[in-house]
Amino acid sequence: MQIRWKMVLLIAALALGLTAIMNRKTATAAPQAAAPAVKTAPSAKNAKDAAPGGVSIPDTTLAINSDKPMSERVVHYEIDAKYDAGKHTVDATEVLTYHNLTGQALDHFPFHLYQNAFQPKATFVRDAKLMGSRDTGYAKWEDKYYGSEEIKSLEVIGQGDLTSQLQYIAPDDGNQDDKTVVDLHVAKPIAPGAYVQFKIAFQTKFPETQARSGWKRDFVLGGQWFPKVGVWWHGAWNCHQYHNTTEFFADFGVYDVKLTVPAYEVVGASGLQVDEKSNPDNTKTVTYHGDDIHDFAWTASPRYKVRESVYQSQMGPIKLRFLMQPAHWSQAERHEKIIRETLDRFEKWYGPYPYKTLTVVDPEPDSAAGGMEYPTFITGDSSWFMPDGFHLVELVVEHEFGHQYWYGMVATNEFEDAWMDEGINSYTEVKVLDSILGKNTSIMNMAGATLGEREAQRGSYISVADRDPMAQKAYDYYNSNSYGGITYGKTASVLLTLEGIIGEDTMAKAMHAYFMKYRFTHPTKEDFLKTIEEVCGKDLRWYFNQAVYGSPVMDYEVLNAESFPVNWYEEKKEQKNDKKGAKDDTVYQSFVALHRKEDFVMPVEVEIKFDNGEKVREHWDGQSRWIRYSYQKKAKVVSAELDPDHTVQIDRNDFNNSFVVEANPKPTYKLSTYWLFVTQWVSQALAWWAV
Amino acid sequence: MSGNRGLLSSGLGMVGRNKRYIFWFWLLNLTLAEFGTSAFRKSAHAILDHSLGGERLVHGFDLSVMANLFVRPEFGPMAAMTTPALYFGFLFLLATALFLPGVFQGYASTYRLPREDFFRACGQNLWRFIRLMIVAGIVMGIATGALFGLHGVLERKAAESTNELLLPEVRFVGLFVIFLIMTGFRIWFDLAETDVVLSDQRAVRKSIWAGLRHSFRGLGRLLGSYVVATIVAAIILVGGLWMWMKIVPPESVLGAFLVAQLTLLFLLIPRFWQRGVAVSYWQQRMMVPVVPVRPIEPRPIEPQAVAVAVVPDPAPVVPNPPPTTQGS
Repeated sequence: MQIRWKMVLLIAALALGLTAIMNRKTATAAPQAAAPAVKTAPSAKNAKDAAPGGVSIPDTTLAINSDKPMSERVVHYEIDAKYDAGKHTVDATEVLTYHNLTGQALDHFPFHLYQNAFQPKATFVRDAKLMGSRDTGYAKWEDKYYGSEEIKSLEVIGQGDLTSQLQYIAPDDGNQDDKTVVDLHVAKPIAPGAYVQFKIAFQTKFPETQARSGWKRDFVLGGQWFPKVGVWWHGAWNCHQYHNTTEFFADFGVYDVKLTVPAYEVVGASGLQVDEKSNPDNTKTVTYHGDDIHDFAWTASPRYKVRESVYQSQMGPIKLRFLMQPAHWSQAERHEKIIRETLDRFEKWYGPYPYKTLTVVDPEPDSAAGGMEYPTFITGDSSWFMPDGFHLVELVVEHEFGHQYWYGMVATNEFEDAWMDEGINSYTEVKVLDSILGKNTSIMNMAGATLGEREAQRGSYISVADRDPMAQKAYDYYNSNSYGGITYGKTASVLLTLEGIIGEDTMAKAMHAYFMKYRFTHPTKEDFLKTIEEVCGKDLRWYFNQAVYGSPVMDYEVLNAESFPVNWYEEKKEQKNDKKGAKDDTVYQSFVALHRKEDFVMPVEVEIKFDNGEKVREHWDGQSRWIRYSYQKKAKVVSAELDPDHTVQIDRNDFNNSFVVEANPKPTYKLSTYWLFVTQWVSQALAWWAV
Repeated sequence: MSGNRGLLSSGLGMVGRNKRYIFWFWLLNLTLAEFGTSAFRKSAHAILDHSLGGERLVHGFDLSVMANLFVRPEFGPMAAMTTPALYFGFLFLLATALFLPGVFQGYASTYRLPREDFFRACGQNLWRFIRLMIVAGIVMGIATGALFGLHGVLERKAAESTNELLLPEVRFVGLFVIFLIMTGFRIWFDLAETDVVLSDQRAVRKSIWAGLRHSFRGLGRLLGSYVVATIVAAIILVGGLWMWMKIVPPESVLGAFLVAQLTLLFLLIPRFWQRGVAVSYWQQRMMVPVVPVRPIEPRPIEPQAVAVAVVPDPAPVVPNPPPTTQGS
């Protein structure tokens, strides 16, 4: 009897081993274009350190151009979801395998239920009303705004059904009506190093698109749609409520998702599509697999037109998939061009893109789904009318792709350090778009008018410069404008200014080092700042303390520049000589005064030009409130300019950074001509119709 | 169409014979706009004149410089710039209402209207025009509100469609229809204005009624003529802007000013052309015809016996000689 059982076990083990080897080969040798249907269900087959109970996180590499996992995989989500296009709901079961790598026993697990944010008493909506919103302002509540994410049942394998143990918590603001975080106390703590499996049945109801998730007409973007466990970070659970200005934070792992949708839908999602089959009920089930990603989003619309191509990256081929709106089909090439050029810059400058896929979604027009990033899946933004000289498509697509690095791989905490994903990404956006579309023309170059991304970022910062520091939780900003201006605009401007301090090449090395060191991890702000200091070998605390941790504002000005003859009392005689055409040997006393108007202290350069063509450069440490330079020369001062190389992007007012002695009214005349034209034309139009 | 050509050509002929009105209205438009933009200019001078920061406005047109300028606290709020411009725009509107009767009188005249007659027409009709403007404002305001309300409903319906192009199509077609309808209203009140001036009609309501009646009667001809003039205006505007962008170097402020002002000067022509069309139509269809009256034939007078008093010849009247002037 015992021998018989041993034989059975031996055969079973051999079978499992063989299957594991075959699966591994299938995964690593999977062709790029047509991935085979591979079952990547949870099992100990692929795991290196499977738990005694057979539960583990798979170490598959099917969806990445690497023969080994690139992240420390903490989670494995297996979701089987069915989308009801009429009701905009998803009914799903989720099996979450969690690997306790915290080093301590865990007795509770918080979960994000993001879609519950779209309820009238939720913190998200309350924030939007108070702080303003990028999307819906909620002036009036409408039923279509409603979203929900309800856990029908939750079972912890080995501990039974714990649905009754679920408790909504509001760790950020104590809002009793906010249901975006639910906490589960397990019956038996999960030991360090152990695995635990949660079996969750849930239903998600999407709102009409809000915060880049939901439906619009017959389109849907499934973002933040399933119960997602928090992150154990720095000795505690990090699971914030969903706020109007916050985004997300999650652990890396493996995703196996089956989506059942109406048969007519065209579907796109994070990860690699591994299977598609038709069902008898006029639906189809599409299966996706993702490796080393920390979120999963999907989209469906019956009207997408699909463009596909392959990009050869440093680590292998990437399948590029563009899901375009029919009316934007002519812009598909623009989408692909900017993706290819951006990939090229990112791989050269920061590091390789390891995933095998990238899906670019051109979302439903007039939806709040444009401009969003999920792992290997981004949404752009466009319109039926998009002139070539207006680079909105390029701007959005580049930005969202950049998030594959600054969020996707360098997975910072978007709740607490929004500047580290949005801001660093805005900085690299400036660099990449400058390189592709030109420094002053990267947003617009049409009808004689230009606009560059660099100045646009600065513009968004200076309007809110004294409101908030960068190093601040995303939901603690004064309002959404301040959040946007600081996290995007200020960070980009601060890092561009830092380039001027440590040098462009050094900054590039630092960014590369930061990416390579912290990809597939959750770095902190200090990790980033210290990397820069290490690479440049300088103590930059004086700068970081002001620019990153503080909110002082920088405004330097050239207070005055003037000259007068040293022998001014002999002026008449001099004029007489001038009239005779004699050489002007007059010696002038010239003064240039600089002033630090605000509290941001920073060394600056000033260039003084004289009317004999001579240029003088001075370095001012900026410690005192003002400084005056004086010169005695046979020439008069013509102009003085602070930051002559234009490396400082954080100065609030760059009009007073220079002073020209002789007034030059030409810019005003030109601007006035435009304003005059508009005024006259409006007057004429008014008179045309009214009398 | 030949009727349209007749109205269009006679209307254009009136504009051509009275080119000076266009010039004066342009000058008025420019002068008032100069006042309206003075606050803007002053603020811009204070910030830009001694700064190198404005250079990017001269060599090209960097929108970020303009945006940065507008957010400077010392530049002042945008309302401080736009409000005076709107006020002076309104003044131009009033001035147009004031001087338009003179223009109608000039267009209707077969000779160069003396200045006194021009201003007499302006003065005589000022109050009538204000009353007309009020009525037109109410009628056109209600119509505009209703049309744009309907347009909004249609747009919202179109926005629900999965065909993305339906919304811009509905928007464009809707705006075109609104333009046509509002042009119909404009024709109505243009005819009323013409009638008030040229019939010297004190009872404005009668002219409004006559205008309505005739705008229906001659709708095809008039609408066709007005649309042609509007198309010409659009061509002038687009052509002017194209010249500005393509021909004028970015650094040439004078070039930009000249092209802008020429465009604005020419932009006045189509509206005056429309008024010429209205005057021409009035002369053809609305003017009260002069009925030919048969001269009264003198009846032969029967000679009658008249008592004649015989008066002796008076002494000849000799004018006094002019007084002699003393002196050299």
